[in-house]
Amino acid sequence: MTIKEIEQQIVEEFSIFDNWMDKYQYIIDLGKSMPVIAEDAKKDENLIKGCQSRVWLDCRQENGKLYFSADSDAIITKGIISLLIRVYDGHTPQEIIDSEIDFIDTIGLRQNLSPTRANGLVSMLKQIKLYALAFKEKDEEKSAAKDKGKYSIEDVQKNVIRALKQVFDPEIPVNVYDLGLIYEVKVGEDRSVFIKMTMTSPTCPMADDVVNDVNNAVSDAPGVNGVQIELTFDPEWDESRMSEEARLELGLM
Amino acid sequence: MVPALSGKMSGEALVYLDNAATSQKPRQVLDFLGDAMVQSNANVHRSMYELSDRSTSLYENAREAVRSFINAPGRENIIFTSGTTSSINLVADTFCRRLAPGDEILIEGDSHHSNIVPWQLAAERNGAVVKVIPTDVMLGIGRSGRVVFEELESMLTDRVKILALTHISNITGLVNPVGETIAKAHARGIPVLVDGAQGIVHQKVDVQEMDCDFYAFSAHKIYGATGVGILYGKTQILETLPPYMGGGDMVETVTYGKTTYAPLPLRFEAGTPNFTGAASLTPALEFAEFLRSGQTGKVLKEEECRIMSYMAEALASDPDVEVYGTGVNKTPIFTFNIKGINAGDLAQLLDKMGVAVRSGLMCAEPLINSFGANSVLRASFAPYNTLDEAQTFIKCLHRAKNMLL
Repeated sequence: MTIKEIEQQIVEEFSIFDNWMDKYQYIIDLGKSMPVIAEDAKKDENLIKGCQSRVWLDCRQENGKLYFSADSDAIITKGIISLLIRVYDGHTPQEIIDSEIDFIDTIGLRQNLSPTRANGLVSMLKQIKLYALAFKEKDEEKSAAKDKGKYSIEDVQKNVIRALKQVFDPEIPVNVYDLGLIYEVKVGEDRSVFIKMTMTSPTCPMADDVVNDVNNAVSDAPGVNGVQIELTFDPEWDESRMSEEARLELGLM
Repeated sequence: MVPALSGKMSGEALVYLDNAATSQKPRQVLDFLGDAMVQSNANVHRSMYELSDRSTSLYENAREAVRSFINAPGRENIIFTSGTTSSINLVADTFCRRLAPGDEILIEGDSHHSNIVPWQLAAERNGAVVKVIPTDVMLGIGRSGRVVFEELESMLTDRVKILALTHISNITGLVNPVGETIAKAHARGIPVLVDGAQGIVHQKVDVQEMDCDFYAFSAHKIYGATGVGILYGKTQILETLPPYMGGGDMVETVTYGKTTYAPLPLRFEAGTPNFTGAASLTPALEFAEFLRSGQTGKVLKEEECRIMSYMAEALASDPDVEVYGTGVNKTPIFTFNIKGINAGDLAQLLDKMGVAVRSGLMCAEPLINSFGANSVLRASFAPYNTLDEAQTFIKCLHRAKNMLL
């Protein structure tokens, strides 16, 4: 059922009662029959601010859908949360964010609550939407991570080399790859990249800058999921490691 | 007599039992307020025209009505403020300016927040210390909620500079022995302020007999308009206090170099006062006097006794009920919890049955917490309430309890 359909169901249930004492009895019974929340979920970070009575609200995600559990030291409050949970349980974060529920007004609950409790109700609704927002953000992060999986190991390897060719040695106008400073590029199953590299001389004063530049360029390459760089001087670099293009560039050929 | 009492709430006949929070107004106060707004609305103490004279007279007549109601020596002893809270703040702020680090302010364990926080603020400014005369619950020697004044003997040292008492607790309804406590403090030269927010409603107050240095109360709890408070102070101590708020009406002459201040009581009434509200004290206190004197007074007193014993028995007969505040010298303020039930839930259901009671901490968090509670239910009666209403309350309470259990 959609959020709207569940709301409609609740409105119909409440229309059976013709006075507020009966409606309250129904809300109280809902509160009493609500599943007990795990004690460890009754922690301060789950406590909703803005409620006069203490209310804990916890949220978990299963197969992309959200499920809530709650508790309160006031039974009427608990009954009201159970209505909210019934409406929102089993829906995706986006559905919850997009929803505009009006059953609380339709059944007259908001007008029949004391102002302090009506404020508490607003706080509860806000907390549910905050949970939905937080889970939506998490989902987006995950799918962004999945995008990275679209690149094969060979693709990533190529992208890394392309990135390395954009990093230049500060003293020689040739990129670090054609200079022969890169000894090894290894892309793992998880698309993490390991680079073993050297400098033209062990006393190169710009070593840190070059390593940083390499790190930044490779991190930004499409499909890369983390970079690890090992600097080595064994074997030492010499001119024979330069590519033909590099030699040409430097007039060594 | 009190039109609001025949009104409705949630579609049911209203049973108003939140009188410790505020009182409902009698017809004569309502008429007075309407007439005053039409016939005498002009700023007081300022102008030469007749309308302003009328307004000033109503305001000053009310001062006289208050003076006579509490038997103060003169009009200079009656300062109009905006409420009990404001009256206590005035004293805490001005009196405590003379305090030095290590000086002590004594307050009671059954204090309302308005007789705690102003002293804490004042103490903070001067490095003074606020000490509390404990209740039996705080000492772990009982559950009645009474203040253990025997403790005072050892607390009244030379470091104590002022004592802030509560005449009647807004939670327990217990009447504190202010007279003898004041005598003990005075024997050591310590002045005493009494928070009379509840006391003025349930007790005949004679400030000269009580011998307090300050007595603070609100108009709205004794059938007057909201936004008006009274501070009674002895002349010799008021004279020593520096001005509190600056502004119009509290001055004699103003120059940019040096300003001199008006004599008592106007020195403490800066700005335009709530003159209409204050003036309503004349009919309000007449009504209060009517409720406690003559044949009416006798009949109402008897009804109050019936209410007291009915309520005490009805609450005591339920083993799930714990009453906060038991003892001989008690006024009809009943604060309690029903085991396993949230007080807010009870209040919510009682509202739907037309019964207005208070739930929560009642601005007395330390006292409520000392009972191990974080929320309580309070039914507080005024002389105009009836035994019938008490019975309706208990009936509705049972119904609410059965629904919630």
